[in-house]
Amino acid sequence: MRKHSLNSLSIVVSLVAFSGATFAQTYGTKGYAPGAWKPEELPKELSAPKPFNPHDLSGVWSMPTKANFERHSLNDKRLNIQDKSLPGEMRAQSFPPPMTAWGKAKFEATEPSYGPRSVPPGLGNDLVSTCEPLGYPRDLWEANLRPFEFVQVSDRVLQHMQYHDLWRTIWTDGRALPKDPDPAWNGYSIGHWDRDTFVVESTGYDDRTWLDHFGDPHSDQMMLVEHYKRLDADTLQLDMTLTDPKTYTAPWVADTIAFERVKVAIFEEICAPSEENRFNDRVRDAAVGKSKP
Amino acid sequence: MKFVGYGAVVLGLLMVSAPLMAHHGTGVAYEVDKLVTVKGTVTDWLWSNPHCGLLFDVTDDKGNVEHWGAELGNPHQMSGAGFARNTFKPGDKITVTGHPAKSGAPRMTLDHLVLADGKVLSGKGVKGNGERDDSTY
Repeated sequence: MRKHSLNSLSIVVSLVAFSGATFAQTYGTKGYAPGAWKPEELPKELSAPKPFNPHDLSGVWSMPTKANFERHSLNDKRLNIQDKSLPGEMRAQSFPPPMTAWGKAKFEATEPSYGPRSVPPGLGNDLVSTCEPLGYPRDLWEANLRPFEFVQVSDRVLQHMQYHDLWRTIWTDGRALPKDPDPAWNGYSIGHWDRDTFVVESTGYDDRTWLDHFGDPHSDQMMLVEHYKRLDADTLQLDMTLTDPKTYTAPWVADTIAFERVKVAIFEEICAPSEENRFNDRVRDAAVGKSKP
Repeated sequence: MKFVGYGAVVLGLLMVSAPLMAHHGTGVAYEVDKLVTVKGTVTDWLWSNPHCGLLFDVTDDKGNVEHWGAELGNPHQMSGAGFARNTFKPGDKITVTGHPAKSGAPRMTLDHLVLADGKVLSGKGVKGNGERDDSTY
């Protein structure tokens, strides 16, 4: 009987460990498959740092799963992941810069399906529940779950997000940001190289989107400045600063992110409104008491 | 644990895997620290973006039918886990394990299921949306 119990426990532990490990391997947390050579076991010429062009951002990138699994906003320190008394999604603590009265009113009107203020999907107003555009930078945080890629052409850098099959255009032809632009879901972006750092400035974002899945708001006056820098062949560092005086009383400086190059393809992951509506009607709405099974 | 016909419900406790947390709304809509297992008959299979859904009927010993539904990840993600658009057809017998809805409604987010031929399909640990693992998300 005791042996049987131990075997059962082993199976449960293995299942739990397997689910996390599988994902970690998929998203390149630098784990090693069984039988693989470790770097110290390789010949010197193979273990030496790989050469890279610091002005070439092209490739598929993902956030390291281990460090950023629950990250979905500008700061990791928002997450009190050590508080095991709370379910995982509820551990998120929101500490953005102090909001203006306008920002606070907008924040209080949000009903996200994540975090400490979460309400069941279908009962809130999170754009993700109805396949609406999530906007930038929220789209970027999806990179903790899905990779994105950079594609460079002569006059643009294209940032291709897997979710929604979104292509963000960053113009590098010397143009200036538009003055008083009509708001756009993904804003207007320009970029230039400052030595080995690719600097992106963007504005003109539609204020219907949120910064993150916690419902943190922004206005159409939001300005983002991003600094991308390749640290090595497989690491891309990002520093971001958000300035939005209509919403926040101080700039919001994001924690530095180090994206990993991953050897996966971007696949089609479109949120199709008609299909999601059918799914909500048939499955999810009943789960949250919005309709009868 | 034992099943009573097709209607028995078995609850268990299990630590939840990290990927489950990534699915948007999972933690607030479902009991992420509980598992429920039911036996049922497929009524519909929604192969759709960004979520697949499995509808099935569960009949108890008295003949009462409960209409269940399970939430899964997106098609590409589920393909990686061995699912396909034609994996299920109405009438198929299945045993399904998942995290039950907090509301008490017969809904769950899938952990794994067993087909009539004994084949096991798991909704966990597969990439995609985090749900990553649907995760979403």
